[in-house]
Amino acid sequence: MPETIEIQLKKGVLTLCVLALLNRRDSYAYEIASTLSDAIDMGEGTIYPLMRRMQSDRLVETYLVESAAGPSRKYYRLTDAGRGALDAQTSEWRAFARAVESIVDAPAEPVAAPAEEGAAQ
Amino acid sequence: MTRAEFMARLKQGLVGLPMTTAAEIASDYESHFEDGVAAGRSEAEVAAALGDPGRLARELRAEAGARRWSQEQSASSAAGAVLGTIGLGALDILVLLPFLSSVLGVLLAILMSGIAVFVAGGFVLVSGPFFGPPGGALAAILLGIGLIGLSVFLIGITAILGKWLVDAVVWFARLHYRVLKPALEPQVQA
Repeated sequence: MPETIEIQLKKGVLTLCVLALLNRRDSYAYEIASTLSDAIDMGEGTIYPLMRRMQSDRLVETYLVESAAGPSRKYYRLTDAGRGALDAQTSEWRAFARAVESIVDAPAEPVAAPAEEGAAQ
Repeated sequence: MTRAEFMARLKQGLVGLPMTTAAEIASDYESHFEDGVAAGRSEAEVAAALGDPGRLARELRAEAGARRWSQEQSASSAAGAVLGTIGLGALDILVLLPFLSSVLGVLLAILMSGIAVFVAGGFVLVSGPFFGPPGGALAAILLGIGLIGLSVFLIGITAILGKWLVDAVVWFARLHYRVLKPALEPQVQA
């Protein structure tokens, strides 16, 4: 089943996005899902397989918060391993994005340039 | 799809998971509906944005299998992880099946020969000395111990290779979670 590069890219950064959101503040699945659904078109339902996976990888842990209305709500927070993963993935992402940008933004070379110019460097 | 339909199809897909796990997952999605309705969306909108419940259930089962495998490495948890992966039903996983089953066959053969050598070693060790073997009783005992050692080695190899194999399958399965909208059912814009 062919997947576009866009889908693959978004899949790749999904974990990073969740880690970054949770680093800002603890959150619950609906909030994470609706943020990411707006931002990168994530299917809302798949937040749960993803969160369970991050939980089994011990990147996040859960706790219950009593809410005034209705049943208590399950919040997620980063573990130390989660913060470590966030740092690692952030720098990986930055390096990747910088590399792609430098290639994409490189000015067009003049036609029939006598020698190769390392414009992308 | 209504909330009740979605939950019914999800729960149907989760049959076979441990009760606590299935209940936990169901309550996750129930509260998602409650949050969605509280945010002013209709049940049908929330259900559409969630995606195909059958598909979600298959991914959750695969993930539960993977999680159990990471917690305890046993034959049954390995089977769970592998079956969960196959349940995802991705085309390239199905293509991989013949290869996977031949690797499994080889592992099984090594395991069986390990067990056979173990039994043979035990037999030589216990009864060998009474049959007047060449080299005397001591030689038979040493041969028996040697065979048992060899069999333990073979079984150990199988265990290590088998663990690698299941780890690889789990890793492969996780590449196949369809986490993004376009891969799910056509979505209603919420």
